[in-house]
Amino acid sequence: MHEMAIASQIVEQSLRIAAEHGAGRILEVEIEVGAMRGVVPEALQMAFTVCSEGTAAEGARLHIATVAARARCKLCGREFEPQYGFFVCPACDRADVELLAGQDILLKGLECRSPQEADRP
Amino acid sequence: MRIEVVENVLKANDAVAAANRRLLERYGLLAVNLMSSPGSGKTTLLERTIPMLGPAEPCSVMVGDLQTTRDAERVGPYTVQATQINTGTGCHLSATQVAEALGRMELERLAYLFIENVGNMVCPAEFDLGEHARAVLLSVPEGDDKVAKYPTLFQKADVILLTKVDLLGVLDFHIDRVREDLARVNTRAPLLRVSSRTGEGLGDWLDWLRRTRAAAAGAGA
Repeated sequence: MHEMAIASQIVEQSLRIAAEHGAGRILEVEIEVGAMRGVVPEALQMAFTVCSEGTAAEGARLHIATVAARARCKLCGREFEPQYGFFVCPACDRADVELLAGQDILLKGLECRSPQEADRP
Repeated sequence: MRIEVVENVLKANDAVAAANRRLLERYGLLAVNLMSSPGSGKTTLLERTIPMLGPAEPCSVMVGDLQTTRDAERVGPYTVQATQINTGTGCHLSATQVAEALGRMELERLAYLFIENVGNMVCPAEFDLGEHARAVLLSVPEGDDKVAKYPTLFQKADVILLTKVDLLGVLDFHIDRVREDLARVNTRAPLLRVSSRTGEGLGDWLDWLRRTRAAAAGAGA
């Protein structure tokens, strides 16, 4: 259940960014999750709901986009999409690869009430 | 209003991990993050390893567990310091917990710091603690299919210890299956066969620790 730690980070960072922009309530949080991070979207949704309770992000929609993994074989240079946890190059059948994508969890954007609307219920 | 950002969500953990790593490098010690399922023999391995390293290579241990101080009590007598981190419901150690524990430790005369992660084959792999190396344990009773089932943990390993090898003759465990799966996941980390009970392979493990420590010291100099 490492989704809890990730969700609490998402909430914390979203609240900070919204505050920096003088925004009101957070309505939507958009994130990208790399396929290699082993994140279960349903578990992350649930954790986000729990972590955002009582904050300006309570009730916000969490939009999760999954980013496919990309790897480059260090031996033959071929780029391919590895399956979760398996890194065998389809060309040379070896598992000596450099991961190019699919490892990150990124916060991409927030939809918030504007400062003018901030005080509205 | 729409706010566009690109911010790494594990940034906070990664930043603390980087700070931990810099701190540990200043003291010239090797920090090893031990990860595996519960009961694979992490604590027993440390109970055997630390006396074998002896007073010339002093060790401390940081132990992560949901509850109890039992593991810290077990390794305590062999170490300079044993620090328990109770994670409560947390299924992995985080860089912040390690940073707090590091603040309570005397790092000056240590050769090794072993960080015994919470027994779990999924979550600990996702969190950098600032360690120099990751050791992953797989015990014979767990079965020879675990590399295929939990590939990300093994993918991130710098060394893989097959523990309780004294049971190889008793259980239907095919080491070739482990090797085949590792060939698809991680060809970099050596696979060491050890038994904390009989002492088999512990020499190879100590060699690996000393080599890795020397390499880390060379890289940091």
